[in-house]
Parts: sequence; C-alpha cells; structure tokens
Amino acid sequence: MTLRNLLLGAAFVFATPALAATTASKSFTGATANLAPNDPAGQWTRQARDYANTRYSPLAQINKANVGRLRIAWSFSDGQMYGHEGAPLVVGDTMYVVTPFPDIAYALDLSKPGAPIKWVYQPNPDPRAIGKACCDKVLRGWAFADGKLIYNLLDDHTVAVDAGTGKEVWRVQLDDVTKGPTMTQAAFVVGNKVYVGSSGGELGTNGWFQALDIKDGHTVWKAMTNGPDAGALIGPDFHPFYSFMQGKNLGETSWPTDAWKHGASAPWGWVSYDPDLNEVYYGTSNPGPRTSSQRPGLNLWSAAVFARDADTGAAKWAYQFTPHDEWDYDGVNENVLIDIPWKGGHRKVMVHFNRNGFAYTIDRTNGEVLVAKPFGYQNWAKEIDLKTGMPVINDAAHPIVEKKVTNICPPDIGVKNWNPSAFSPRTGLLYAGVFNSCMDLTNHIVEYIPSSPYDGMEMARHAGPGGNWGEFIAWDPVAGKRVWSIKENLYVWSGAVVTGSDLVFYGTMDGWFRAVDARSGKVLWSQKLGSGITAAPMTFIGPDKRQYVAVYAGVGGGAGVIRREKGYMPGGNTLYVFSVDGNGIGNGTSQLVSQAGAAAPVSVPPAAAHN
Amino acid sequence: MKELVLALLFAATPAFAQVTPDTPNPFDGKPDAVTAGHDLFGKMNCAGCHAYDLTGGMGPDLTDASWLYGGKPGEIFHTIAEGTPRGMPAWKDKLTPDQIWQLVSYIQSKKSN
Repeated sequence: MTLRNLLLGAAFVFATPALAATTASKSFTGATANLAPNDPAGQWTRQARDYANTRYSPLAQINKANVGRLRIAWSFSDGQMYGHEGAPLVVGDTMYVVTPFPDIAYALDLSKPGAPIKWVYQPNPDPRAIGKACCDKVLRGWAFADGKLIYNLLDDHTVAVDAGTGKEVWRVQLDDVTKGPTMTQAAFVVGNKVYVGSSGGELGTNGWFQALDIKDGHTVWKAMTNGPDAGALIGPDFHPFYSFMQGKNLGETSWPTDAWKHGASAPWGWVSYDPDLNEVYYGTSNPGPRTSSQRPGLNLWSAAVFARDADTGAAKWAYQFTPHDEWDYDGVNENVLIDIPWKGGHRKVMVHFNRNGFAYTIDRTNGEVLVAKPFGYQNWAKEIDLKTGMPVINDAAHPIVEKKVTNICPPDIGVKNWNPSAFSPRTGLLYAGVFNSCMDLTNHIVEYIPSSPYDGMEMARHAGPGGNWGEFIAWDPVAGKRVWSIKENLYVWSGAVVTGSDLVFYGTMDGWFRAVDARSGKVLWSQKLGSGITAAPMTFIGPDKRQYVAVYAGVGGGAGVIRREKGYMPGGNTLYVFSVDGNGIGNGTSQLVSQAGAAAPVSVPPAAAHN
Repeated sequence: MKELVLALLFAATPAFAQVTPDTPNPFDGKPDAVTAGHDLFGKMNCAGCHAYDLTGGMGPDLTDASWLYGGKPGEIFHTIAEGTPRGMPAWKDKLTPDQIWQLVSYIQSKKSN
C-alpha cells in the first residue's frame, strides 16, 4: 500500500464513522421495529413478512461463511410471461405462488422431492384488463390468513382461495375494468380485514382503498382518495400536521371544478399496520392527467400517505409528498414502520423512499416530517422545507406544454419505484434498490375519454450522472444519509430481504441475484438467473429444517420503460430456490427416493432426513 | 332517395361495414392524411398506450413487423373501429371512417421496416 492509499483509506474511515460498526454487531442507528405478528421464523405469510413491512427474516443458517456455497435446490416455471413482482409464501410444508395475469395460483408441496404441484387455481380474469393496466399486467403478490390465500385480480376482483384445497371461497367485484381501473396491489390482511387498493394512475380513474371482511369479502369500509371529505372518510379525527393540508373538502376544492373525479390518486402500493396505534398506512398515486397545467391546485390527496383507523377507515392524518405533482411522482412506495432514537427521546416513525428522490422519516403518530433527504440523484427540488412540509421546487424543472424541458431528474418512474426496501433491526439500516436517471419532458394537453389513458407526458429517459442506471444502497433513516452503495448497470427494481445473519439479498434487471454483507455492502455471492429480477426475494425453512432463499426471475412491469437498454433480458417466469450446496429433499445422491419403487438410497444428506 | 343520400355520403370512403382486410386505404399517398392522423393519435389518447413515438408501452409497438390483429390497412382499420378482446377500446362511435383511415395512414408512415 502506498502512502497515498493509506492516507485515502484513513480519510475514508474518518469521513464515514458509520463504517466503524462494520465489524461489530451493533446497530448503526439504534432504530428498532415491532415485528408483529411474529410469525414462526421459517414461515412467510405476507409480502413484507411483518405488519411493519421490514422484510427482515431472523433466519441465520445461511450466513457470511457459507453464502458463497448457495446453489439452486429446485426451480419452478409458471408459464406466464408478464413481469413477476411478488414473493412466494410459505406456510407449513407448502409454498404458494401466484402468477401475473391471468393470476393463476399454485400450491407446491415442499415435503416431496422437487416440490410438486398440490393444486392449481385459475380465476380466469377478464382479458380486457390487459389493455387497461399501465405498467405491464402484474400482481405484487398475495397474503395467507384464516386458512385462505387472498389476492387481487387484474380485472378488479379480489378472491380468497382455500389454502388446503385450492377451491375458491369467495370472489368480489370492486370496480369496472372496462372504465380503466385495474388491481395490481398485494392484498394485506390484519385480523379479520383484507386491505386492498385500486390501480390506474394513468387512466383517469377515481382511486379508492377499502377494507373487506375476510369471511366473505364484503366491504367493511371504503375511502375514496379524492373528492368531498365524507367519501374520503375525513372527519373530526383528521389532523394533518402541516397547514397546507388543513381545511374542509380539500380533496374537492384543491382541483378545478370536478377534476378530482378523474384525478386518479390510486393507492396501488404497499400497506403497513401498527398494532399499538391500530392504524393502517398507505400511499396514493400521481394525480390525473399527468399534464399538470390542466389541474391547477394542490390536487389533494394525490401523491400522499394516509394514516387511517384500521377498523373504521377514519383518516387520522395525511401528508402530501409532492403537492400538485408535475412529474408523476406517485406516493405509493412502502412505509416501513420503525422506532428511532430522536433528540434524546424516541419516535415512532415510518420511513418512505419516495419516487421524487427524497427519503422521508415521518412521525407516524402525527405526520410530522423529521427527516427528508435525497437518497439518489434528483434536481427537481432544492430541499423539503420541514417548517411548511413543502418542497422548494427548482424553477427549471417545471414542464411546459408543447415544449421540451430537458434533464429533469428523476423521470416519471422516480429514484425508486414500488420495489420494496428492507429494514434490519440488527443494523438499524434500510436497504433499497434505486434508480439514477433523468428525462426530457414535453407535455401535451389531453382530454378525458373513458377507458383510454389520461396522460399527456411525452418523455425520453436517460441515465443520470455516472452513466449507471441503478444502485443498491444502505440508508441511515435517522441521519438521512447513505451508508454504502453498489452501482449496477440497470435500475435495481427488485425487492430486498435482510436476515438475522446480516445478509441482504437483491436482484438486478440483467439477471444477477446477489447476497451482500448488510454492514459493509460487500457482495458475497452472485448467481446469474434466466431473466431479469423485478420481484421480491424471501427466505424460509423447509420441512427438512434447512434454510432456503427464493426469488422469481421474470423481468417486466414498469421496468419495461428501459427495455431497449443494453443488458435488459427477455421475460421469464421461473422461481429459483437456493440452499447451501443446492441440498434439498430428494436432491443429489438421494435422488432415487423420488422414484416410485426405487431402492433405498445409498446416502442421504444429513439435513434431508425428513422421512 | 334515402339510399341515394347514404350512397353519396359514403362514396368517398368505405363505411365501417364495407371494410374488409383487403380494403385499400383511400388516403394512400396523401401526406395530409398522415398529418391529420398524427393529430388524432395525440387527441384520442392513442399515445397514452402506444407512446408518442408509437413504439409501445402499455399497448403494443406499432412500428415493428408484429401485428396481433393483422397489419394490412383494412385490418388496422378494423382493430381501431372495433377494439380488441384485450382491452383496446372501440373507436367507431367516436371517430368517422375517414378519421380512422387517417390514423391508419399515420401508423403506416411509422413502419420501421
């Protein structure tokens, strides 16, 4: 090592004190999370594993010492070619996967060699939904509860399927797909309620969020995003923290006359739940049309987050991230519920990586923004003013009708999209795939024509500074800064999972599935898969007591906006399941046990002694 | 008399029912029709699905050689007029046959091969 390198190294350590914790086991931030409902460690029964949306698994069999030996234990192709976005579920000895449109469900028997199909359920949704879904014909997963698998169909139905038999228990219609709305969100279940929201930010829809009864699917409460307070379940309990959101019927009056009726603001992203406050949290999409000059006003409650009473739907507070959104910065990304040390005390907060490029740490009891810092490259705003709660917008970023405005960063798809982050209570950090890109934007005036897009943004997107389209980052939600980052060629549009052994898993659009040291950001293992990865990984314990990691490779969804970039892979539909050395039930030297009438196996791997 | 009026009205362009896959585009070789089709492509929200450069997004690419419902002028006319089972709306109630032919002209002008 030269003296120069030595000095640089020393300077780096001093400049980033967080790295001092690299070799220790302590938290970088002191942030913790309530991991309710505290499912058995080996199971995965909802998309984010817990109500708080941490995607933290306490499993630690796969660790830094053996992660380099991960190999494919088995795989499963489901035959559907639209983008794959959800994570499989594991309950007991069964894995459940659901495909993008036409939303076919499979149960796979983990106790048998090769995880054969136990049952298939085909809901046969209306194919007209294909032409209404903006960003590929996707589904972001499903939930297991009350012995049922519950999920949304692209054609605006929610279904419940008996987990044991694969028979439909109930199906309810929640909107009219021929008019534009679709459903792509992962249903979220708490107790006896199923929380679902509509999609269709580009279709002039009128977004809604509702709670269904888990027994028969009937609507318990329904909250419109926009319009008069009564329909939005905004009443005496509603106390937004900042004055720009305080007043009567702002969901109606912050729009030109009746424009809210086609103002979209669809809650198509993730839902989280705090059992102590008994509140659900979810975000709303961009306002419609995307051409902002057609809707002067704040356009409440688009591009916002709501806190609502989980039982009644009554709004408690809201926070609009991007007032009068001009760039398609939806507010639907995950809200990860954590508790942080703050100025000598503690705060219950949510961490939200917004499309607009700012990561917000918000007091979830009242909607006060504690931290709002850029987590990637953006130039549309100078800062978020924490006194007013509003962004300070860069004048050069305003779109103009029929005139190209160059180099607005980020473009419509944001610095991060719906791809969910993970939080580790061990490191106190969040982990997220992020985007580095900009757009040249020309706006056009559009008319609302039912069942057609209500859009108006013409864009050319290009990579941001440095030329790499994506990164995977670790984020300190208290200080509001990155701890480490890994540059990737394309957008990192996969979800993340972090484990009790401080491993973070994520995938890339050019098909690499990686395991990273959660403390240092060092890549410990990579495996090239058959398609790009835009799904969320998960991890579980099989009937053989062995830890597995699973992820779908099937690039698509909104990621398709850069489908012509070098390295973007053809679509796929394969679930890959990994274990140390690829061991699994029936694998390797014991493979003959999978054959009827086979002789006793010569040898059985120790952990595979399942029978 | 009524028949005569109808016949005169539709003499210039084949009406919806008369268009077959092999019907030629009556605006072939007329640049004004391409311009008119371009305007309609924006106004009728076609660009929202097929993109302002027609390379697709929510809906299919209209510049490549692959046609789900046929790429002959009469077939493209039919797809626009009637819509598709995969959710493209039917436009015959909102556009005249001439306007649909103008859209066909614009789409054909953007062929990449």
